[in-house]
Amino acid sequence: MIRTVVVFFAASLAALVAPTANADEVQAIAITHGRVYIPGDHPPLEDATVVLSGGKVVAVGAGLAIPPNARTIDAHGKVVTAGFIDVGTDVGAVEIDLEAASNDTDVRSAMTPGLRMLDGYNPRSSVIPVTRAGGVTSVVVAPARGLLGGQSAFVDLAGDTVAEALVRPSLAQHAQVDEGTVQRVAGSRGGLWLMLREALEDARFYGTHRAQYDANGVRQLSLHRAGLEALVPVVRGEQPLVVWAERASDIESALRLADDLKLKLVLEGAGEAWMMADEIAHHKVPVIIDPLEDLPSGFDRLHARSDNAAILSQAGVKVVLSTFASHQARLLWQRAGNAVRLGMDHEAAIRAVTEGPADAFGLKGYGRLEKGAVGNVVVWSGDPLQAGTRVEHVFIRGKEESLETRQSLLLQRYRTLPFTHDGSR
Amino acid sequence: MRCLAVVAITTGLVALAFTACVPPPPPPHTEARPASSVPADPFAAPESRARTALDTPPVAHGPAVLVQHATVMTATGKRYAPGFVLMEGGTIAAVGEGDGPAPKEGTVVVDAHGRFVTPGIIDPHSHMGVYPVPDTEGHDDGNEMTDPITAGLRAEHSFWPQDPAIERAVAGGVTTIGVLPGSANLIGGRGIVMHLVPQRGARAMRFPGAPEILKMACGENPKRVYHELKRAPSTRMGNLRAVREAFLHAQKYARDWEDWTKKQRQPPPPEAADGGADKKHDKGEDKAPDRDLALETLALVMRGDILVEWHCYQADDMLAALQIADEFGFKVRAFHHALEAYKIRDVLAARGVAVATWDDWWGFKMEAYDGIPENLALVTEAGARAVVHSDSPIAIQILNQSAGKALAAGRAAGVKLEDDDALKWLTANPAWALGIDDQVGTLEPGKRADVVVWSENPFSVYSRAELVYIDGQAVFERAHVGAPWSDFELGVRGMPAKQEAK
Repeated sequence: MIRTVVVFFAASLAALVAPTANADEVQAIAITHGRVYIPGDHPPLEDATVVLSGGKVVAVGAGLAIPPNARTIDAHGKVVTAGFIDVGTDVGAVEIDLEAASNDTDVRSAMTPGLRMLDGYNPRSSVIPVTRAGGVTSVVVAPARGLLGGQSAFVDLAGDTVAEALVRPSLAQHAQVDEGTVQRVAGSRGGLWLMLREALEDARFYGTHRAQYDANGVRQLSLHRAGLEALVPVVRGEQPLVVWAERASDIESALRLADDLKLKLVLEGAGEAWMMADEIAHHKVPVIIDPLEDLPSGFDRLHARSDNAAILSQAGVKVVLSTFASHQARLLWQRAGNAVRLGMDHEAAIRAVTEGPADAFGLKGYGRLEKGAVGNVVVWSGDPLQAGTRVEHVFIRGKEESLETRQSLLLQRYRTLPFTHDGSR
Repeated sequence: MRCLAVVAITTGLVALAFTACVPPPPPPHTEARPASSVPADPFAAPESRARTALDTPPVAHGPAVLVQHATVMTATGKRYAPGFVLMEGGTIAAVGEGDGPAPKEGTVVVDAHGRFVTPGIIDPHSHMGVYPVPDTEGHDDGNEMTDPITAGLRAEHSFWPQDPAIERAVAGGVTTIGVLPGSANLIGGRGIVMHLVPQRGARAMRFPGAPEILKMACGENPKRVYHELKRAPSTRMGNLRAVREAFLHAQKYARDWEDWTKKQRQPPPPEAADGGADKKHDKGEDKAPDRDLALETLALVMRGDILVEWHCYQADDMLAALQIADEFGFKVRAFHHALEAYKIRDVLAARGVAVATWDDWWGFKMEAYDGIPENLALVTEAGARAVVHSDSPIAIQILNQSAGKALAAGRAAGVKLEDDDALKWLTANPAWALGIDDQVGTLEPGKRADVVVWSENPFSVYSRAELVYIDGQAVFERAHVGAPWSDFELGVRGMPAKQEAK
């Protein structure tokens, strides 16, 4: 019975997903004469055009014919990229961190694999327009804590309802094996990995014994039903398991676990990943990194160093850059810029916030400017990774989004003193 | 005379090597103690007069250094491109346009073509040393969360000079920091201004001649901490009452000491005819008041000898803080964090209060909800001193980028700003906020030679500090990073450049 409900619910979510703009409603856009970053290991196109129509990118190239009735945006001297994607945020799940009532990031339990971040996503959060105005068009809203913290949601930063914003309601499962989690949950690494392995092995067992489970015909399992159900796609290798690990030996443990259980692994945090660069590359495991986190801030990152991203990238690891933030996810460009300062190739850094995240999570049509891609596009006044550059236009699913934020309204109100409530004099 | 060879500095920067002969360091200076048993200044605590072998050592004079062919940004309004900076004897000997004077023998000449030169960055709000990395219980020394008024504390006494974050901050072009106690307490204690040269003890890193500073905090933090401990304060009105009461006690304390000092300085009364001792002089009335470290600190604040660095976010909290300052007759040197400073920038400008803040942090708590990226620019436009601070061992490594971002945000809002204004946010203005602007913060002859050579415009996200000088000594050379400063990191593969260094 219950199983039927679960399947039905998943189906209903799928129906909510893949929202496409009505081609008639959204005017075609031609962004012309820009420097356009295209997917793959290619230099950007110069003096190129990007055409958006029906919510999609319909053409990218130099010397394209502009469709009649298209709105033209002259991007001469400007840069056009796919919308940036931050895969490690809690955007939409928290309005003010220290106000518990407005914060849906902290679950007071270590084992909540069935938790869905989409249930806490607020499409009207003031953080969303601010993030968007930083050139980020999509984010992964991920659980912040817990050994098995739950399922992340992938959303476009647009829409008035959760249904409109959602792209993938259950993108990945998130595990934390950093020293803080060890202390909170198990007291020792051995204890923590025992719990993790047991949960995953129970889920695998459950996945092939659902009927007996429903008939109370199986041994006691380490998780409740919703948790087991959520882990089934993980142990089948269909859904990524994102593991936050810092110490090189913990990364080694994660690679071993992924080998043993045939998991689709993504590493996150990964302060000491550079020490394991070749092994990680060999396993073809993507690594999500904040390049500014260079401090030996805990005993599990004593070997942290500032060129972690550069070393991994040069070793052939798919590096994805993230802010791991909520309110400051808007600064993803600055993380990528710092990765360049710290030795990463400029184009690789742009890929690490566009197609890199899309590839790591199998998000088809995202993070790339090519025919058929989702119409998430940003026009920058110059180098997207540079401090003086402004975001000039943000398109999500082919529709231009306002750059107005609660902050721009505060600026308007206080631009002259004494202020007037309508911003006039 | 010790003689040493100066090696080429970096592959990118062509340095001419000379053999430098270094004069022996001058003998450590000594301070005469007052001869009288009555202290000249009863509040000048004995511990601050004490000098030990580990006090700030005299500046070691290396060879003179001439940095040439760079864009020299001085934070005085002048910019020389190409320009030079000559450092000699620990101070800036000359700065200006062109190649500079012909180098004397022994001078290290740095060809900084294409590079930018600025004064060393000064971060007035750091917890390095008191909240060091790694984050351990053993070194969790930044907040004495046992009483909301701990004015008698000194951050110096918590400071761990082996904090690995310090070297990384220097690699980001930072040469001086204000180390403050945390903000759990309304009056957290004295901070200390540190010159970032590695030493074995905190005292020896103290910036010579820097005034005392006091950390205060208003708003959410103190009331949250003590609410959780189920004691006062747990509201904003509780915050303000506690601060006012503390200063009331300090007023009485100051009066008691003044009265006693005055009496001591009066000539002794003539011997009584009966030869008996004057009762007043024998007994308790002449006993000096008991010293109280907290009240002593607050008395010195009211006398203007200690600069107040007040953590406040909201405009209304800052206005309430200024009311207290007026009531007790002291000045607020700088509000720190001050995310809503832009709302009261006219008031802050008129009263000469500096604003030390981030470029764009916001939203992490209720009182931080209204932060906007134009804050620094608007405060500057109003004529107040704006300062970029970090409050973070990561943000401190890229303060130059913070200034670049705030500069761009301000210009986009139509605020007319020169590059030099943004440089002042990093150097001259924090120097003022810490009371050391007569010594550092600009590139001017006679100032301490705290100088940074950047790979490109410092407001660029790609810019790296290549050479960092403190008192004319190269404390950081990106191309030649040696063993880690921190003993803690010995044997650990830490900073990237260490791997590259041969």
